[in-house]
Amino acid sequence: MVFNSYTFIVFFAIVLVLHNLPFAWKTKKINLLLASYLFYALWNPPFILLLWLSTVVDYYMAKLIAIEQRPRNRKLLLTVSLVLNLGMLSYFKYGGFLLENFTALLSAMGIVYQAARPDIILPVGISFYTFVTLSYTLDVYRRKFAPEPSFLNFALFVTYFPHLVAGPIVRPEDLIPQFKTPRRATSEQLSWGLFLLSLGLFMKVTIADGLLADPADLIFGLPFPVQSLDAWMGVLAFSGQIFCDFAGYSTCAIGVSLCLGFELPDNFRYPYAAIGFSDFWRRWHITLSTWLRDYLYIPLGGNRHGAFKTYVNLMITMLLGGLWHGASWTFVVWGGLHGLFLCLERFWRNRASRRRAMRTDAIPVESVVSRAAVIPPIRLSNPLAQFGLAMLTLFLVNITWVFFRAPTFGGATLLLLSMFGVIPNGAPMLTNLAILTVSSVTIGIILCHWLMRNSSLLALSKRLPWWGLSLGWSSLLILVILTQKSSGSFIYFQF
Amino acid sequence: MKTTNYVKATWLTLILVLTFVAGWEAYWRHNHYVLAYNDDESLWANTRKQIYQSSPARPVVIGSSRIKYDLDLETWQRITGEKPIQLSIVGTSPRPLLTDLGNDPAFKGTLIIDVTEPLFFTPSGAFPEKEADKRVKAYPNWSLSQQASFQINRVLEANFLFLDDFYLALNPLLSRLPIPQRPGTWGGPVFPYEFSVNGFDRQNKMADAMVADTAIQNKVKQVWMDVGAHSPKDVIAGPPLVDILNQTRKSIDQIRARGGQVVFVRTPSDGPMYAIEKQLFPRAQYWDRLLAYTQTPGIYFSDYPALTRFTCPEWSHLTPKDAILFTQDLLPIIEQKTGWSLRKNASAPKLSSSTL
Repeated sequence: MVFNSYTFIVFFAIVLVLHNLPFAWKTKKINLLLASYLFYALWNPPFILLLWLSTVVDYYMAKLIAIEQRPRNRKLLLTVSLVLNLGMLSYFKYGGFLLENFTALLSAMGIVYQAARPDIILPVGISFYTFVTLSYTLDVYRRKFAPEPSFLNFALFVTYFPHLVAGPIVRPEDLIPQFKTPRRATSEQLSWGLFLLSLGLFMKVTIADGLLADPADLIFGLPFPVQSLDAWMGVLAFSGQIFCDFAGYSTCAIGVSLCLGFELPDNFRYPYAAIGFSDFWRRWHITLSTWLRDYLYIPLGGNRHGAFKTYVNLMITMLLGGLWHGASWTFVVWGGLHGLFLCLERFWRNRASRRRAMRTDAIPVESVVSRAAVIPPIRLSNPLAQFGLAMLTLFLVNITWVFFRAPTFGGATLLLLSMFGVIPNGAPMLTNLAILTVSSVTIGIILCHWLMRNSSLLALSKRLPWWGLSLGWSSLLILVILTQKSSGSFIYFQF
Repeated sequence: MKTTNYVKATWLTLILVLTFVAGWEAYWRHNHYVLAYNDDESLWANTRKQIYQSSPARPVVIGSSRIKYDLDLETWQRITGEKPIQLSIVGTSPRPLLTDLGNDPAFKGTLIIDVTEPLFFTPSGAFPEKEADKRVKAYPNWSLSQQASFQINRVLEANFLFLDDFYLALNPLLSRLPIPQRPGTWGGPVFPYEFSVNGFDRQNKMADAMVADTAIQNKVKQVWMDVGAHSPKDVIAGPPLVDILNQTRKSIDQIRARGGQVVFVRTPSDGPMYAIEKQLFPRAQYWDRLLAYTQTPGIYFSDYPALTRFTCPEWSHLTPKDAILFTQDLLPIIEQKTGWSLRKNASAPKLSSSTL
């Protein structure tokens, strides 16, 4: 079930009513759990078995890990959990990819081998709930989190429908404590939750699907070069589409959850106003980037073993992060580029801070040399310079999106060459209306992100008069109703 | 948070949105807009589900827009007692649908294939196949959730005009803005509202205003000229044409091997459009060759006076009234050509047409 469907509206209305009836807390949690299974089963019922398997195994493994004192046995139990979860993920998500590469490798070695094409369907949300259950087992193993005694609480933590299929990727401490005491949304939480749901739907239905999907699909689907303007518009359209699609889903999830009285963590914080790539990953898919940081980057050694090892760890983390998004080498390159930019940024920042330190030691600030320079130094505290850096970051992020969206390396190369005018006489493809739409939406997103980068929607809403909030909210909903058409599925469901 | 602010904002929002919806609906009703169902993936999938009940009296119909306008499903039902299963998709080639039916081991029914040459004879993977391909691929994944949404949507679309996403959604409305065309590009055809009203059974009909008003008809003719100007100039021939014929024969053979039956139909076109179609796709090289290659019966409208007496007001489709007559006259020709028994009652006299 997707948030942008009539089925969900009916489903959610029933869940909301049930959750507000005077039932016992345990009954309400059982209702939520059953509703979550129904939410998932309405896609493809058999895959619910995988969800159950993951839930049951991790619940008991965590209990055993907590009881077990011998380090070797604890490790063994953890391995069982990891093998099961990552094994399922690998089979369903990477089975075809691994086989394809294995066949290619054999072929490169001159061995003729033609494997039967595996017909594996990817269970929706498997990448997300696998990370949720893994974080629980790993936290229990590290003794960061005590195993949850209630199976109901744990099952609900894994399966809770707002986050189940596309995040935010919750940690045990985010949600399990909230299930322990009776919760019901206050009237203001309910109102704010409904507002967030409306905003998320607006981002998904109107912006991502209604205004940006067609130009992006058109440009990325072409097998021939296009004019530079068209290429850039296609990439910008995808850039806006992927943000509005995914952040739209997260916003809906947070809003829906708030209506039920549970708070989910933020997943996006105006990423297209990020200054640098480390800032970008503090703002984009926050729950994934923190997951990768805590369960991959830091265990690899993080920045604790010298500069070179830090760069290697960064690259490994981002390459695997890329692969998490999809079983294709284009995603790996996307992750690799982000890793590379993170390394360059780290290198540049370290060098700059070393130089600053040396300069501060040697020359007093505002010295003759500094004042006599032909080009005045760019002060990074200057808002204009910050905006420039943010735009440079966005420019590079857009380059990486080409690999993320293009179906093949050939397609990505063709588009990049078109973007930079290397291939002359490309075809004009987008109409003036499409160009106008993509430009307006892109400018709107950048302005919105820049103006809000140090603030929050909640803070903004508090500054608005209630009728002002209502006018904005009504406009969002009217545009959603007008747009009507939606692809139904969210892009991140495939990851 | 200030409690009153958020709660007040919620109520005002609800009032504003409901007021807009009521006003928007009233506006279109006031403009005599006609209620229609969205001819989308879900409606198609819902129709696709019915193919296993197909019979000569209840054939599956695949093709482009012409058969969706020209075959009047109510008339067919009145005569045979059953309504055809209309799977045709406007602006597309039926070949992806034929491949799908050929590959479906459970399909053993009766099939009518509408041939509009510029759409049928296009290379595999070309633009006219895209929408059909998309629907065929989406069908096996039509989830329970989507099916439930479809049932809710069906009730809403039966009551609200403004839910017509082909004409009244944000994008079609934006496409009507007077923004100059960028040289070398084309945004696709923009039809007048009155051109097409899609029913729940997936039959298209022209609105009364379109039938009555030559100015609207001329707008559609202009759209066809735009479509022609932006279509590929090369007509398929040689090995790619043989590929198409081979693929078509393979699918038809698959259906026949399971006991199914197939007939081709070439519905009327008119004026310059028919002239261009004849010129680009000479009958001997395309239509006749298709029938011979696939060993399949076919009905070409110009071979039968009963089917030639109609005028397409915009060169390509029949009016609702003519569709009724066309269907009445087509049925006995199908019976005669295929030997299928289409009558409601087997003991009833054979169907006949006064002009046959």
